[in-house]
Amino acid sequence: MTPADADLTRKERREQARADRKAQEEAHAAQSAQRKRLIQLGGVAGVVIVIIAIILIATGSGGSKNAPAPKSAAAKTASTEVVSLLQGIPQSTITLGNPNAPVTIQYFGDLECPFCKQFTISALPTIVNKYVRTGKVKIEYHSMETATREKEIFQTQQVAALAAGKQNLMWNFVELFYHEQGEEDTGYVTESYLQGLAAQIPGLNLSQWSGDRNNSAYPSQVLADAQAANQNGFTGTPSFMIGKSGGTLKKLEIAGFTNAGEFEAAIEKQLKA
Amino acid sequence: MSRRTLRIVLIVLTALGLALASYLTYVHYADIKPVCTSGGSCFKVQTSAYSKLAGVPVALIGLLGYIAIMASLLAPESENTRFATLVLTIGGFGFSAYLTYRELFTIHAVCEECATSAGFMTILMMLSIWRFLRGEPGDHASQQLAGGEGAQTAHVSAS
Repeated sequence: MTPADADLTRKERREQARADRKAQEEAHAAQSAQRKRLIQLGGVAGVVIVIIAIILIATGSGGSKNAPAPKSAAAKTASTEVVSLLQGIPQSTITLGNPNAPVTIQYFGDLECPFCKQFTISALPTIVNKYVRTGKVKIEYHSMETATREKEIFQTQQVAALAAGKQNLMWNFVELFYHEQGEEDTGYVTESYLQGLAAQIPGLNLSQWSGDRNNSAYPSQVLADAQAANQNGFTGTPSFMIGKSGGTLKKLEIAGFTNAGEFEAAIEKQLKA
Repeated sequence: MSRRTLRIVLIVLTALGLALASYLTYVHYADIKPVCTSGGSCFKVQTSAYSKLAGVPVALIGLLGYIAIMASLLAPESENTRFATLVLTIGGFGFSAYLTYRELFTIHAVCEECATSAGFMTILMMLSIWRFLRGEPGDHASQQLAGGEGAQTAHVSAS
């Protein structure tokens, strides 16, 4: 073995040792980096789970307010507003307005629907004062289940409204319901809530109303409304049909519910037709 | 899947989620009915008490979340940005899981757009975890070896 061969072997050994150390350090670095990443991942997941648990607990009851008590100041204000809006306008079962009005609007709503509340409070008063009070338009209230979670409650509250209609005060009941509507899914619609609404309607005979709620015709009427809504192709509430009274009504597509402008344009078009 | 492809997939999914969240936020503020093929379900969900969290629409929270995820993906890639994407997507997934729970067990209606967004967020989270755990080849190792190799060279020269 020449000295040159011996040198080459030492070099090779050194390089081999370096390569081994490098591989070991690389493996060690990779392992510690992976361990660090797993710890970070676990930490993030843990923090997110805690935050979501807090949100779940905080929103457990819906974090919402219920409808005002029937004798509260808020309820009295609502009652006064409703009486003021409807006073002097004829009502007949589900219809508000002059029975001979040239234009008919069908309003399909769910009494627990927040968008219906927005429409009823924001845009409807303009329509009522400008067109219904003047005898140009009559509005029929029909039901369509959307926001109400339980079918049974939906029917109960709708039948309660229809029973008020037997005394030609359905619109008072509907308006009051929307004005005093509670937060969705908080279970605020109870028997005492419905009784409380009825008690706020001036002129409503409560014992007659209670008896009429058992009228077997009303559940059928709710079912008929559901079928009509389905035939009309409605996918949500509020939805509307409009047309000449006695003629074929057409679906009224409305982009926003808080502004009466689109309704006014559609009514004017029907009045001129 | 290459790192570049993975990043592109993440960006595309985030862009889709961003578009969906933008639409839902618009629907919320414009007071209009969302496009929905399952009857009034979307409407029911979006008008429920759970459509807001502490007064802030959840659609807006989703939109801000997607914007933050997109920012973390478009920033120059590093261990920190991958970690940021991971944190945001796990947070987004947790929030989507909470909303889905509310839809299924409280509101009893499922909003199609919300379910789609939850799907995007689930995939984003899984891909982000994978991306974060596999890191960049030689990320830590190369830094440590740079010093180590220099020290070894000096040692060899002295010997």
